[in-house]
Amino acid sequence: MYRKQVRRRRAVLALLIVGSFALLTVTYGQGSDGMQRGVSTIFSPLQDVADRALKPARDLVNWFDETFDAKGDNERLHSELEVAREQAVGAKAALAENAQMRKLLDLDRSGAIPSGYTPVTGSVIGRSPTVWYADVTIDVGSGDGVEVDDPVVNGDGLIGTVSAVTGGSARVTLIADHSSAVSAKIVPSGIQGVMKPVVGDPDDLILDFLDSEKRVGKGQSVVTSGWRAQEIGSDYPPNLPIGEVAEASLLQQEAQGQVHIRPYADLRDLDLVQVLTGGSRG
Amino acid sequence: MILTPNILARLVAIVIAGVILQLSFFSQISLFHVSPDVLPALVVVLGLLGGSLTGAVCGFSIGFLLDCLLIAPLGGGSLVLLTTGYLAGLFRERFEIHSALVPPLLCMGLTFFAELGFGAVELMLGVDAPISALVIRDMLLKSIFAFFLGWAVYIGVRRALRPALVEESMLRRGRRPTVLGT
Repeated sequence: MYRKQVRRRRAVLALLIVGSFALLTVTYGQGSDGMQRGVSTIFSPLQDVADRALKPARDLVNWFDETFDAKGDNERLHSELEVAREQAVGAKAALAENAQMRKLLDLDRSGAIPSGYTPVTGSVIGRSPTVWYADVTIDVGSGDGVEVDDPVVNGDGLIGTVSAVTGGSARVTLIADHSSAVSAKIVPSGIQGVMKPVVGDPDDLILDFLDSEKRVGKGQSVVTSGWRAQEIGSDYPPNLPIGEVAEASLLQQEAQGQVHIRPYADLRDLDLVQVLTGGSRG
Repeated sequence: MILTPNILARLVAIVIAGVILQLSFFSQISLFHVSPDVLPALVVVLGLLGGSLTGAVCGFSIGFLLDCLLIAPLGGGSLVLLTTGYLAGLFRERFEIHSALVPPLLCMGLTFFAELGFGAVELMLGVDAPISALVIRDMLLKSIFAFFLGWAVYIGVRRALRPALVEESMLRRGRRPTVLGT
C-alpha cells in the first residue's frame, strides 16, 4: 500500500516536471497563446477589482517606505525637478533637431511625444514578482487599440514596450528587462548608442556601442534616437526622454564605449502609463 | 491531508487568492526598494500542511496561473514552485515539526531557493545583459520578508484547511500530536 502511494507520488511529480519543461519549450519565445489569453480574460476583471480595492493599502505601505527613506520632504522638490527636466530635455531635443534638420525638413517637433501617435492611458494591474522579469501588466489591450511593440511612457519618460496583448490587458516589458535594447542618443551632441539594462538594478542602464572618439559628460540627457533604414526601423519614435548620464568615466568610454544612465522614470513604482498607439516607427 | 471536494475548493480558492494578492498588492509595494514575494511562502505552507504531492501540485498550479496572468512564457514558474512545494512536503514527511519557528524558517530558506531557481531558469533561457549584485540583496530581502509573511500565511492557511488536517482531528480527540504540533 505504502509502495503504491510512493510510486503514485513519484509518477505525479515526474509528470509535473515533464509538463513544466514541455510548457517552457513550447511557449518560450512564442508570445501569448490561446490558453493564456483565456486565463487572462477570465482573471482580468478579478485582478482589476483587487487592484482598485488594494490601492489604499498599497499606498499606505509605500508611504511608510517613502517616509523611511526621508522622501516625504524631497517629493515636492522632486516633482518640480521633473517638470524642469522635461522642459529642458524637450528644449534640448528640439534644438538639436532643429539645428540638424531645419534645412531639410520644415518640421517642428518641440513636444516629447511625436505627432501621429494616439496615447492610450492605462494603469498597472500586475507586476512580475521576481527581479529577473522586469515587466508589468496593464489594463488596456487590443480592444483599446494597443498592439505589440507599441512604446509605453509615463509622465517622466520612456518605460518600455508592449510585448504581448490580450483583449483587455497587455504585458509591458520594461527598459530594465534583460531582453530590452533601445537605440538612444545623447542630446544635444547627438552621439548614438544602444541602451541596455543591468539586471537587478532598474536605476542603472548602460548606453553601449558609443563612438569612443567622442566624449560624453555626466548629467547630459538621453532620448530615443528612432532610426529608420529602408524597411526596418526602431520600435521607438525619436526624442522620447529616457534618462540622464549618471556616470561617464573616461576609461569606460575609451575601453568599452559605455556610459551609465539613470532613467527618469521610477521603474519600481509605476501606476499610470500611456501606450503610444499608431504612428510611424523610427 | 484528507482531500474532499470542499477542501479541494478551498485549495483552489487559496491558490487564486494568493496569485491575485501577489500581483495586485505585494508586487506593487516596495519595502527597502524590494517587493515581497508571498507565493513561495504560500507553496511551502501548502507543502507543509498537505505533503509533498499537494505541495508539488499546488506549486505547479500557482506557477502556471502566475505565468498566464503575466502573459509570460509558461513552465518556468511552475517548475520552480513545484520543486519548492515538493521539498516542503518532503520535509514534513521526513521530520517532525517541534517548534513554531520551523514553518517561517522553512519559508525563508525555500523562498531563497525559489528565487535562485527563478534566476537559474532565466539564465538557462539566456540573459543578454550584465547582472547587478543588487540581485543578491533582492533575494535576501525577499527571503527575510518571507519569514514574516510565512508566519501569517501558515496561520491563515492552517485555519482554512483545518478540517482536512489529520493532526487537527487527533488534537480534537485529545491525542498528543506527532507532526505540526505547534
